[in-house]
Amino acid sequence: MNATIAHLLSVFAELSVLGFGGGKGIIPEMHAQAVGTYHWISSEQFAQFYTIGKLVPGPTTIFAALVGYAALPQRPFLGAAVATAGMFLPSSLIVIGADRFWARFENAPWRAIFSQGLAPAIVGLVWSSVWTIARGTPSGPLAYALVAIVAAAMLRTKVSAPLLVLLAGCVGVVLLR
Amino acid sequence: MSNDPPRPPSLARIALTFAAISSTAFGGGQKASIREQVLALGWMDRAAFLEGLELAQILPGPNILNLALYCGQKTRGIPGACAAFVGAAVPPFAIVLIAGALYFKYAGNPYVHGALRGCALGALGLTVANALQLSWDERADWLRIALLAITALAVTVVKMPLPLVLIVFGGLGILNEYARSRRTQPAP
Repeated sequence: MNATIAHLLSVFAELSVLGFGGGKGIIPEMHAQAVGTYHWISSEQFAQFYTIGKLVPGPTTIFAALVGYAALPQRPFLGAAVATAGMFLPSSLIVIGADRFWARFENAPWRAIFSQGLAPAIVGLVWSSVWTIARGTPSGPLAYALVAIVAAAMLRTKVSAPLLVLLAGCVGVVLLR
Repeated sequence: MSNDPPRPPSLARIALTFAAISSTAFGGGQKASIREQVLALGWMDRAAFLEGLELAQILPGPNILNLALYCGQKTRGIPGACAAFVGAAVPPFAIVLIAGALYFKYAGNPYVHGALRGCALGALGLTVANALQLSWDERADWLRIALLAITALAVTVVKMPLPLVLIVFGGLGILNEYARSRRTQPAP
């Protein structure tokens, strides 16, 4: 059990400091560790935890708590707390530490170069996240149609993201049992 | 309103302000909520807020949490940042734990299972929309499109680990951006 706590902490702390672009790019690596390396959860659970992260207010990566919850079945709340601390504390300490240096680099050109330059890699990682999540969701024409409809609605209408997820859930109750 | 001198809020006020936002706001709406709140409460001026937004986006970590930390620290130093952390992190943690407890209790029910599978397809749809939108934003430069496609393949097919991805493809992107900035604004 102690080994699991140490692993949770190290996995999520690493994801935390690598979570550039608001953490959009860490999903494939989190799956590789939580499902692949450590077998804490299945691909289907991973996709569903990610979904819960999209459904609750706050950052999506809060679903790290659910990975910790499942990884430590004897002490689920401890597992959730450890994973969440690992996910949020390291990046927070960087922000707090950076504040002292930040003012000195006001209007420094490398700031724009850094964030603009990193963007294509982050977008590539978001495409990989699509593949990662799809490993744990139903397949087939009906499923792909639902994904396409939700994506189109997100891009073309003002319906809120959590509501779209819940509407897809209603379709699921009827058609995906 | 924005001409008032910034007045430092209490730590409890900081925590409660971010708790109210983090327990109710979703996605991009959170940044707007934080902006509205800190400007209306006179914690800082617009320029300081925008500076913080840039800091929050350039550093690793959720934008909302980083922005809350910055606002807490700007107004009340490190104790303020700690209060902001508690406010921004604890309510989502509590809510996701309740959701998790329900998940582990009811996921075996066939109706719940169907709903979860449908919801997961919905979340997948949101991710596709996000990827399409972000890729569309890159369309001006074919090098950046190529870089994002190669990154996606390297991660998905070759299973390249994240630290290496950021060093290699992030590094190439930064070099490309640096070269572009040199071309458009020649050094004095």
